[in-house]
Amino acid sequence: MNDSDRVEAESEPREYRTDGGTATARERSVNYLDAEVNIFKPSTPFMRDHLRIIWTGFVAWALIVFGPVTLTAVAPDAMSTQLPVLGFPLHYFLIAIGAPGGSLVLAFWYARQRDQLDEEYGIDHTVTGSTADEEAVAADGGADA
Amino acid sequence: MIDTLLQGGLLPEGLDVSFKLLPAILVLSMLALFLVIGYVFRVADTEGMWVAGRSIGNVENGMAIGANWMSAASYLGMAALIALSGIYGLAFVVGWSTGYFILLIFMAAQMRRFGKYTAPDFVGDRFNSDTARAIAAVTTFLIGFVYAIGQARGMGLVGLYIFGDIGIPGLSGYQSMVVFMMAITVGYLTLSGMMGATKNMAVQYVILIVAFLVGLYAVGWTQGYSTVLPQIEYGQLISELSREFSAPFVNQSYYLWIATAFSLVVGTCGLPHVLVRFYTVENERTARWSTVWGLGFILLLYLSAPAFAAFGTDLFANNVGPVYGEGGMSSAAGDVIVVLAAQLSNLPQWFVGFVAAGGIAAAIATTAGLFITGSSAIAHDIYTNIINPEATQREQVLVGRLSIIALGVITTLAALDPAAPIAALVSYAFSLAGAVLFPMFFLGLWWENTNRQGALAGMTTGLVIWFIPMLNEVAPNYGLFTGMAGEAGVISPALAQWLPAVGSALVATPIVFLVTIAVSLMTAEPDLKTKRMVRQCHSPEPMGQQQTAEDVVTTDGGETPADD
Repeated sequence: MNDSDRVEAESEPREYRTDGGTATARERSVNYLDAEVNIFKPSTPFMRDHLRIIWTGFVAWALIVFGPVTLTAVAPDAMSTQLPVLGFPLHYFLIAIGAPGGSLVLAFWYARQRDQLDEEYGIDHTVTGSTADEEAVAADGGADA
Repeated sequence: MIDTLLQGGLLPEGLDVSFKLLPAILVLSMLALFLVIGYVFRVADTEGMWVAGRSIGNVENGMAIGANWMSAASYLGMAALIALSGIYGLAFVVGWSTGYFILLIFMAAQMRRFGKYTAPDFVGDRFNSDTARAIAAVTTFLIGFVYAIGQARGMGLVGLYIFGDIGIPGLSGYQSMVVFMMAITVGYLTLSGMMGATKNMAVQYVILIVAFLVGLYAVGWTQGYSTVLPQIEYGQLISELSREFSAPFVNQSYYLWIATAFSLVVGTCGLPHVLVRFYTVENERTARWSTVWGLGFILLLYLSAPAFAAFGTDLFANNVGPVYGEGGMSSAAGDVIVVLAAQLSNLPQWFVGFVAAGGIAAAIATTAGLFITGSSAIAHDIYTNIINPEATQREQVLVGRLSIIALGVITTLAALDPAAPIAALVSYAFSLAGAVLFPMFFLGLWWENTNRQGALAGMTTGLVIWFIPMLNEVAPNYGLFTGMAGEAGVISPALAQWLPAVGSALVATPIVFLVTIAVSLMTAEPDLKTKRMVRQCHSPEPMGQQQTAEDVVTTDGGETPADD
């Protein structure tokens, strides 16, 4: 869904400029300092997209971390089955290795997703020190003069 | 053997306490190396002292996160808890690692964008209140203090193996060692500041992870437990160990497991010495990726600790005596189980010394992070921002150094007769961070209408709820309220069950959230400038390396990134 939207948007940047055009142009028109910050009410497309990733990750995390131990409390016998080859009781394996390992995978997934989001919205952190600032100086100077 | 009696409960049984030449040389040269690095990267200005010039990159910061994080509690205490309390001990593995994901998705990048010096800075500036800043600073100082007691205990116990009883008059062997090790740590810190400490942390991470993993592989290999992947292979050993090691909830309840893991997760997200690592990086993308790196580095140890615990438990049962039940392994022996396992495997003495040195590196690295944040709370947040706004850089750094010494002295005193095993001591600090600071960071960043009154009410509530179980369970150990304590050593067993000191954040954090939100809704909204500062933390627009959200908002109204 998202992909096809983006492709469509990118293919017709000129005609729909006023309506937003590409994601980048749309975002440029947003002044983030006027957009309310409330975790339950994202006020810009960027925040909405970002929060969708955050909440997805959060739900997955909660299941990985608190799921196995809760299941073990509910059904101790089933969860204590010994794993073939590895020898672990199932609950021990899921708690000691599944939860931390799963969180690392999720962390990697989130950082990747966020990088893709940056790309989609034309955000480049490598230039923060120099170029972005210089542009800003020019824009500022013009406005002030 | 008279020595043994004098040292009472804190002499780990089975550990060979005596002066050992090669391990001593090893540890002393490691400490000398830290001092040299600290001296080379010494600092004279506050920017370097507190945030390392905001110059740290991805992997380096990841390692610093790992070293900063992995304390004696990870290196020694975690294996101890897994060995002694089985599945409950895993709550520490889970809480101390998975919390980083929450930190990553909700806070790391936003904190970097906010871009101040210290955690209390965030609270003070976000809520426009010196009172809030002071409460946060005092909390930070308390966290550093409580947390460092566990580190000092770890250094004392491990040092005992290497140097034996150095015999400071009037003190037991353990106590002499605590004084000796803390003196070295404080000396190194007052010299080096954050820049030196950050450079050292990468070195300390390498030492501690190599020592831990090499130790684990050697024990597993020589004792026939494992070959290439002990982190997985110890599974086959589990069925041979007592059922206390792996059976669910035999040692502690499900409720305590959840309470502990939850407190450690929110504590991770509220710890000032963890958050300050995000102020030291170049930009927000580095803040994110260094968190991923940091978690990866941390897991190298956290997936190995249960294996070490399993090997150590088996070795202890075969060589020393029963692990569980009456006359079982003491908490002091548990706290050195990593060193003990290496020693019981009959590995060469210098090698055991190397494993022990890793524990000392871990303890020093974390104490460094804690003392730096604790002292910056005093020097930067209380002294410079509240008492003497005209303070010169020289004066600030001086006050910083003096407060490091003060922290060192009180920590040493408290560690002479610690109330609990390392990991439990450390988790008190986590409950405090999770109850008082985490809600302020989270709401402060994610809900712009959180205001001063809400923050003050919330933090006060958090402090009060944290103190209740501390008085109930911990104070009697230090001779306070001993008369009121019952048989279990606590004043109210029911309270201890539902509001345990190690996991009090499970109750406290949600209440603090509710209080903060309710009071914020009932009082006036914060001013527009504050709201814009919060919005700037979430804007995708890149920011300059030395910029803070406040700079952007004040200089140009935020239409575009500002000039420095």
